[in-house]
Amino acid sequence: MGKIKKRQDKRGIQISFAWLFAIIVGIFILILAIYSVTRITDTGRDVVGAKGAAEIGVLLNPLETGFEEARSTLMSVPTDTRIHNRCDETGEFGRQTIRVSQKSFGKWAETNIDVGFLNKYIFSDADVEGRSFYLFSKQFEFPFKVSDVIFMTSSLEDYCFVSAPEEIADEITNLNQGNLYVSDEINECLSGSILICFDQGGCDINVRYSIGEVTKEGTTLFFVNDALMYGAIFSDSETYECQVKRLMKRADNLALLYDEKASSLKGEGCSLEMSFSSYRNALNNIQTSENLFTAFGEADKIGDENEGAGGSGCELW
Amino acid sequence: MVRKMKNKKAQMKIQQMAFMLIAVTLFFVFAGLFFAMIVFSDIRKAAEGLEERNALLLVSKLANSPEFACGNAFGSFKTSCIDADKAMALKNNIELYKDLKGNFWGVDGIEIKKIYPTDYAEIECDSGNYPECGKITIFQKQGIGVSNFVALCRKEGSGGFIEDKCELARIMVYYGGDNN
Repeated sequence: MGKIKKRQDKRGIQISFAWLFAIIVGIFILILAIYSVTRITDTGRDVVGAKGAAEIGVLLNPLETGFEEARSTLMSVPTDTRIHNRCDETGEFGRQTIRVSQKSFGKWAETNIDVGFLNKYIFSDADVEGRSFYLFSKQFEFPFKVSDVIFMTSSLEDYCFVSAPEEIADEITNLNQGNLYVSDEINECLSGSILICFDQGGCDINVRYSIGEVTKEGTTLFFVNDALMYGAIFSDSETYECQVKRLMKRADNLALLYDEKASSLKGEGCSLEMSFSSYRNALNNIQTSENLFTAFGEADKIGDENEGAGGSGCELW
Repeated sequence: MVRKMKNKKAQMKIQQMAFMLIAVTLFFVFAGLFFAMIVFSDIRKAAEGLEERNALLLVSKLANSPEFACGNAFGSFKTSCIDADKAMALKNNIELYKDLKGNFWGVDGIEIKKIYPTDYAEIECDSGNYPECGKITIFQKQGIGVSNFVALCRKEGSGGFIEDKCELARIMVYYGGDNN
């Protein structure tokens, strides 16, 4: 009797082949579905990031000023966004890349898709976070217009310019940008704002305007005009040095165009003797912003030569 | 005999189950493909929209780009003015402005067409016939074009003097081709 019961118990735990097959295939389908959903979510995130980065690039087009003055514009996004500003100095012009990550469910959804531009120069920290971003653009001339450069800051960060020279203070005031302030004293600045002091120490960023130096986080960056000074203030040292090299590459290519234009104008009766080769040599020798001063001397020289050619109607730019 | 019948029934059930599972898998695959198709068609539309907006915004600003702009070279500072001599120099060195991922401005073509006076309007400019020509093709055009009116200026020597000569032109920017 006992033996029969034991046998019946053994049959009770037996799983038929049909069940086993269904379970295995069911698990396979579930894994496939979960994998597909994860992939689609990742792709969707990448698409949103890439679209955002491309849109920022397109929105930067109207910032090509054409005039002397600087201008500022506000760009707002619906969710918390992190803009990764990357600069690559390789190639004929180097490359500006933008990557956008957005916060979803309290976590940063990082993407791997960069959108690149050859004709844009954005000076900012490597990662800028917020829902609103200020884009301030200014012409960079060396001595001819090389490009409009863009300074990007988050509305979450305030910058206080202390004892700035009059032309800088006027420019900042006229920009009317929500996160830039001008003050005569450090204690008049908003608490928590980034302090930028001119020709005095003890601030987050110290500018020695007369000699073209910006010191921040223990690093010294060099500038030769106001556009590069703003670049050094608003960007980290790596981005600044890279963008300076890219701007020099573009200046070099523009010098080639002006040199060719000068040659063609000789046929029209213009006797232009401009030292483009030494200017281009100086540009090509720039390794860090410290070398800018040598190139600045050469730029000044061709600038004067161009002005001199203006008397006979032969100016190149 | 009974055992054989039972075996056949079980085999039938397994076959039914297998077909059902294959059908369910196929259903999910097709549903997924359909969803992906909708998503990717949206991406394509968004990319086309961005390309169009880029071209529209660029064409209104391109004349102020230093590779084209007149700057102060023609008396005073001029906007929406293209320096034809510089544009020709750019055309001659255009290879520098291209890389593996596209060109410097990220568009599918840039062309400057003289509108008035109409002499030589259809003749493409090269170093041999310039300035007796009416078209400067910077990048070979492909796709849809958007345009903007500009002044096309150059310097001309006459009687020992240098004159600034400005004509009416149109700058065309093309997008939607397969250059990029």
